[in-house]
Amino acid sequence: MILAGQDMRHITIKLMRDDLPRASLVMAELEAFAPDQRPLLETELPEIPGEDFRSRIRRAWGHLDRLVTLIGELPPQDTETPVLVLQTEQLIEIDQWLANAWKQCVPCDEELHRIDEDFRELDQLKKSLEEFADLDVNLSWLQGEHEHLDMRIGSVPVENIPRLREVLALSNHLILNVAGDGDTRRILIAGRREDAAILDSVLQAAAFKPVNIPASFDQHPDRVRDELARRRQILEQRSSELHGMMTNWRSSNYRQLLRARQLLEAAEPYSNVRGAARSRGVLAVLQGWVPASRLGEVEAKLQKSLRLPFVLESREPRSDERHLVPVPVRERGLLKPFSKLVEQYGVPRFGEFDPTILFAVTFVGMFGMMFGDIGHGAIIVLTGLVLRRKIRSFTYLFVLAGASSMLFGWLYGSIFGYEHWIEPLWLAPMSDPIYMLTVALGWGVTFLTVGSGLAITNRLFSGDLAGALFAAGGLFSLIFYMALLGGLVNLVQGGGFPLVATVMIVITLILLISYQWLSSDMPYGERVFTTVIETFEIVNGYISSSLSFLRVAAFSLNHVALALAVFTLANTMGTIGYWITLVIGNIFIIVLEGLIVAIQTLRLEYYEGFSRYFYGDGTPFRPLRVGRSQNSTIN
Amino acid sequence: MSGLAHQAYLRTRLAIMSENLLGREKLHKLSTLSLEELAKHTGFDKYQGPDPTARLAAFERAQMQIWLDELSALLRPLEGPARRLLTQWASRYELLDIKALVRGKIGQLPNEEIERSLFKLPGFLSLNLDELLNTDTVPELLRHLLKTRYRSLAVQALRRYEENPDPFLLDATLDQQFYSNLINWAQRLEGHDRTETLNMIGRFVDRHNLVWSLRYRYNYRLQTSEVLYLAIDGGRVLNRAKLQQILQMDTLEEALGKLPSNILRSGEMPREITNIEYAMRNDLFEYAEGAMRRSPSILTSVLAYLLLRRGEIKKVYAIVHARVNGLSDSILEEALNPLEDIAA
Repeated sequence: MILAGQDMRHITIKLMRDDLPRASLVMAELEAFAPDQRPLLETELPEIPGEDFRSRIRRAWGHLDRLVTLIGELPPQDTETPVLVLQTEQLIEIDQWLANAWKQCVPCDEELHRIDEDFRELDQLKKSLEEFADLDVNLSWLQGEHEHLDMRIGSVPVENIPRLREVLALSNHLILNVAGDGDTRRILIAGRREDAAILDSVLQAAAFKPVNIPASFDQHPDRVRDELARRRQILEQRSSELHGMMTNWRSSNYRQLLRARQLLEAAEPYSNVRGAARSRGVLAVLQGWVPASRLGEVEAKLQKSLRLPFVLESREPRSDERHLVPVPVRERGLLKPFSKLVEQYGVPRFGEFDPTILFAVTFVGMFGMMFGDIGHGAIIVLTGLVLRRKIRSFTYLFVLAGASSMLFGWLYGSIFGYEHWIEPLWLAPMSDPIYMLTVALGWGVTFLTVGSGLAITNRLFSGDLAGALFAAGGLFSLIFYMALLGGLVNLVQGGGFPLVATVMIVITLILLISYQWLSSDMPYGERVFTTVIETFEIVNGYISSSLSFLRVAAFSLNHVALALAVFTLANTMGTIGYWITLVIGNIFIIVLEGLIVAIQTLRLEYYEGFSRYFYGDGTPFRPLRVGRSQNSTIN
Repeated sequence: MSGLAHQAYLRTRLAIMSENLLGREKLHKLSTLSLEELAKHTGFDKYQGPDPTARLAAFERAQMQIWLDELSALLRPLEGPARRLLTQWASRYELLDIKALVRGKIGQLPNEEIERSLFKLPGFLSLNLDELLNTDTVPELLRHLLKTRYRSLAVQALRRYEENPDPFLLDATLDQQFYSNLINWAQRLEGHDRTETLNMIGRFVDRHNLVWSLRYRYNYRLQTSEVLYLAIDGGRVLNRAKLQQILQMDTLEEALGKLPSNILRSGEMPREITNIEYAMRNDLFEYAEGAMRRSPSILTSVLAYLLLRRGEIKKVYAIVHARVNGLSDSILEEALNPLEDIAA
């Protein structure tokens, strides 16, 4: 049996607190250590060192990120540059330097944002004036108070317009024109002059931004254009000045910026160990997971790098922490695409049966059985090979699924839907649909039984004896299923429902109900409810899951039926039409039916298989690394 | 699950969960317990440590987590607009976090202090608080929000902030957005779910509109039209025209005289805004109790339960908080039931 992540060890490094940053860095360089964040030694070592360190690092990165956004990316760090251990004093210095640097640059940043906003406003103004170009009025009249009228032109967020319209109506104002796109709209508001005083506050609440039309504007389009061009030029000039200033600033601070980044990256491992490091006074502990094969290397590197004494202890994972042990990702070769599909569902828990091989074999087998056709299978193989550069490892999936399709096509005697070109090695599905359905049901029963067997084994390995016996997919539900199945088979064969099967069903049901009842600590009402529902789920689960496998046969029949439909349609056409229909029909079958069959196969694997026997709640092994790669992954 | 199965599941779940509600008597009883007994009853004793503020914060987060877990359980069988409506309901915590962040940035508080006041959000809410926390200024924070699903809110807030960096306008915008989204999703429901849910949300909106409009108009002295603009659409009794009639009055006393008689289901409307808020809240909770048990819409019953549960959780927290800080029985009682004091 293939078990996930068998060789992991839990390590505890007892060291002096001053050596913690260095030890973290050593572990990060080795990329062989995943921190264990559990508060295992909380009582003896109550402090989590580096809280202030972490918050400073976070702030320093925040400032550096914003500076980089403003002044442009820094070149990637030279891999030859030695990694440094960041001391607290250096961090304080870098944090302060970056905070001051950002303070110097922030007026520039704010002004650039304002200029962007001004550009947008200018565009709004240009568009507004174009809209009113046909009116025979002085354009500057569109804004401000007149003898009787109060007019405003500007922009508001689009979702504010209905409410603004309603409220303006209450204060005797109207929205006369709405135009524009994106988040905001240009609007022209008009109302009586005596009601103007109350307008400002409403417009402010509505996030209205007036468009600034100078009083000199009149109806001459050339003058308007010139004025707009002049304003744009001023903005562009200022923007370019600001960018120039930033370029100069970058040049004069380039070395400090690179140094800051280098030191912050070096500090990341210590920052990322978080609760995996604990301390009391000068003593500290660092704990986590290391592959057993790399223990020697870890110890040797620590011996070489740490300045103060330390002790490294390692042990095998305990049974109660198996679900917490990170599982290293293995090289998969042919199985890579299947392993990716397994990971879509979940990562195998430490010591759990790794379902990748079983998944690959059953996926390919079921796909072939549902989509059995030598021609269509060959096309799938060819498609995989042609697209190999784009789909990379998924080429294997295409090739294996296509080959399986070809194999079943041979067994069914089907090539591009032609059922008479070759003799079926086994049988043509349409010749005996009931037999096909029986085979599919038999396959389903086998699949579910193997799944339950794996579920029981996985739970036993995890120390979950109660789950192995009583939970869904456990031993007693499997016995219940077998008894029910045996009884039904006997009944169908005319032998009646055997007493032994009835007794086994009753006993297992009593056991399952009792377990559900005893394992619940909910209030009485909820307990009854959950016991009934959970037991029903277990019983119903096996029945519906078994029937679910009928689709394996149904799709093999469907495949033939679709091909027949294409032939029937083609036969109603002339020679050219016949071949065109045949080609299009086959493409339709390969693409659409192929996709549906793949989805259905995946569904059977995930819902009828994985949900039964696969915990899938394992943690992928993400070792501590130098650099900024895993801020969000270690919590 | 079919629609009927959803109904059956939710009704059963709700019937069971409603046993978690304490009711007034039990809440009152809690408020009379000593800190030690109270800690045992409420689970506060699980949060140990030398710093009472940190203990209280952990307790508050755990209480919120209970509410969110219950919401998640009730969310499970729902789909479409009903699911979105409940998720939107939970996103209230995201908005509270945004408010706390903006206030913190305006007050130039240290990040650690702002962080302590934030709720840790569950997975189905998507705001990246770390990124927002790391900003230095309000405009910068709002520019980060532009990249989230609060984009439209950020666009407005940025424009308003430039004119007037007062957080109340931002608060009003956040509330408007929250209730508008809630109403949007409720309007997409059908049948009883639609009418009953809109009725229920209409009551929240009435409460919010009345209390805040009176505050804006008579405490902050804002123009009537501005207050009307800040009001939220979708009230049950108070539409914008009715609010206008009320707010055009020169004094709070006159304004209260213009209130529709059916705004409270029973009892007199108090004369101070704080007490009006309590009266409206009590009225809403009484309505919610009825809706939870008798509404033909299961979704409304779920909303009512969540409202009541959150209200109780907040009260339990308030009691523990008061006890930890050594407040007297009378102050605690007055804080929990201010209207009873007035009636007496």
